[in-house]
Amino acid sequence: MNKKITNFFEMLVVTAILLVLIQMFLEDFAVVSGWSMDIQKKLSISGFCFDLFFTIEFLTRLFYAFANKKTYYYLTRGRGWIDFFASVPLLMFNSGPTIFALFFSGTAILGIGGIFNVLKVIKTIRIARVLRFLRIIKIFGKIRYVDSVTAQRHIATVATISITVIVFSLFGASFITGSTGLPGIGESIFNHQITIAEALTKAETNEKDFINTIYQLNRLDDTLLIVKKKGTAIYSRYKNGYYREHFGPGDYTYYKNQDLEMFFDSRPVSIQNSVRNLIFFFIILFTVAAFLIFYSPQFAITITDPLHVMERGFREKDYNLEVKIPEKYADDDVFRVAKLYNEHYLPLKDRAENNEEKGLLNIGMQDIKDILPD
Amino acid sequence: MALENEKANVFIQRLMANSALKNLSLLQREEQILHFLKANAKQLYPTLASSSFFPGKGWNYIYSSLYNALIKEINIYLFPELKTVIESRIDFAFIHFIEERKHEVRQVKNEIAEFLKRLLQKTEARQSFIGAYTAVLKNLTEPYIDEVFERKKYIHFELTKVQKLTMGREEVKNFILTSLLLKPSVHLLTAGSGKDETLASGVVNGQFVDKAYMVLSNQLKSIPKKLLKASLDSNLSFIENKQIETTSRITSIFAARGRSYKPSVKVDRGADSPDKSWFNIARRNYKYYGFDSTMLDEFYKIAAENGW
Repeated sequence: MNKKITNFFEMLVVTAILLVLIQMFLEDFAVVSGWSMDIQKKLSISGFCFDLFFTIEFLTRLFYAFANKKTYYYLTRGRGWIDFFASVPLLMFNSGPTIFALFFSGTAILGIGGIFNVLKVIKTIRIARVLRFLRIIKIFGKIRYVDSVTAQRHIATVATISITVIVFSLFGASFITGSTGLPGIGESIFNHQITIAEALTKAETNEKDFINTIYQLNRLDDTLLIVKKKGTAIYSRYKNGYYREHFGPGDYTYYKNQDLEMFFDSRPVSIQNSVRNLIFFFIILFTVAAFLIFYSPQFAITITDPLHVMERGFREKDYNLEVKIPEKYADDDVFRVAKLYNEHYLPLKDRAENNEEKGLLNIGMQDIKDILPD
Repeated sequence: MALENEKANVFIQRLMANSALKNLSLLQREEQILHFLKANAKQLYPTLASSSFFPGKGWNYIYSSLYNALIKEINIYLFPELKTVIESRIDFAFIHFIEERKHEVRQVKNEIAEFLKRLLQKTEARQSFIGAYTAVLKNLTEPYIDEVFERKKYIHFELTKVQKLTMGREEVKNFILTSLLLKPSVHLLTAGSGKDETLASGVVNGQFVDKAYMVLSNQLKSIPKKLLKASLDSNLSFIENKQIETTSRITSIFAARGRSYKPSVKVDRGADSPDKSWFNIARRNYKYYGFDSTMLDEFYKIAAENGW
């Protein structure tokens, strides 16, 4: 019964991993393609559900590992650290705040200035989502060429190293640009918005200049959305319904100076972020696919397949197939051993078996249980 | 007694129907069951000595009863199967190309069938026949002989120029199939297990083969002498008898191939094909089995190039 539950749980996790990869792609693709906010909200909610699911899964695995005194093994060789990075931080810093903003504050307000830089670093947490590609290695075993434990472990190791290096390099790059003031994605857009906000603040002293400036900006710059003075909207680019339908959490930037409040459109930055995320997504996807398509067969042909054939030959009395030795790999260590197996072991085995009075037995006691009475 | 025989028959019939033996030939099944009975005697005895089978009998008695039941059961199917092979599978027209003396095909067929019935009463002949018979049933030689005739290399030269066979490829194929059937005929004269005349590798002492030929050629009047000689010589080692016929060398190799032939062997990725593997191993053991190494080289190349 326990095994059935475990198998069901594993199948559920594998299915969730495959689904979350699709969700990851769609969430960014929806932003880039300008899908309706309703769809984007649903994708954000599904993202939150997946993060919650994987966080619970991680905590469950951690609990059982702890109970079995295998915490260190799970977090290191068991690749629990991947489970952690692909769940808990995402729930805490990405999907959690997004859902909170969606349901409790209507918009997630991203400030301008120092806070913006911190949030930008936090947003890079999303990059960790691509670590989930490493988790699909769990289902590699079902795929041709990766049906040996050794092949699975080696491919998982090289894929983990490659993807982790890419992800943590991106983390590092985001941290440097975020915390040191170096320009990052959307920096020029936000600087431009700050310039406009400062210009409007200056023009506010003269009401005529202020109104003229707003109307000029309306023609020349399409990022200024709303201007409020003493809490009353004196300018809005769109009607209220449009904002509800096309703007979501993080799509606004907000600037306040005494009585003056300004809202800017930050969707171009979101699109740039999503384009970047999609690029990372495909880089990782192709990296994993390359390991699977090119490296796995290579590993199988040169390492695990010949070892498997030799292992069967050593173990099974009537298995006498030779190891196929590709000419170009004949000097490899494995194939040098295989050559000895082919040229020395198998002929000796053949002669030894021929000397045995009794031949090889295909039938055992377990095969005749139905014939013999209890 | 009759009841015990009935019980032995039922037990053997159920053993023979076991799925683990499904793909094996009749003689391979027989060998497996005998081996099984010997290997598991200790475990089987308490059950087989119980009231359900042979109450109070010793193992030797039980084994003997089961052995007789097995041979009887196998023979029920084996002899008709052999008759079909002789009547339908092999075209004996090749005998007209062997000797100038006219041989009646009907007589040859009948004589071979009757002789095999007599021969296969002997345990060692049955054992020796397993590989050769598998090679006949599975027609292991046909694709190789076709290739030999396409390539016209060493084996073809040996067949046509050394053995001087003046017959086509189909006749050669049938010649070899018949040689395979008659290969164990040497055991008609062996005493006991035949260990005095036969080496572990299956190679038979040359003088004994000559003696067998003398005796059998007097008994089997319808069978062409050259065919009988070639069949008996397939039990000799080529290493010690460089003059043995090409067909005998081929027969010897394919009888051995049939011995380890597995009909539905799963070739793992990274493994060579069954025939290629077998011929390569045989190339390394050619002295032990008394094979013609040059012939093995050619068969190996054929297997390798065709992925067999």
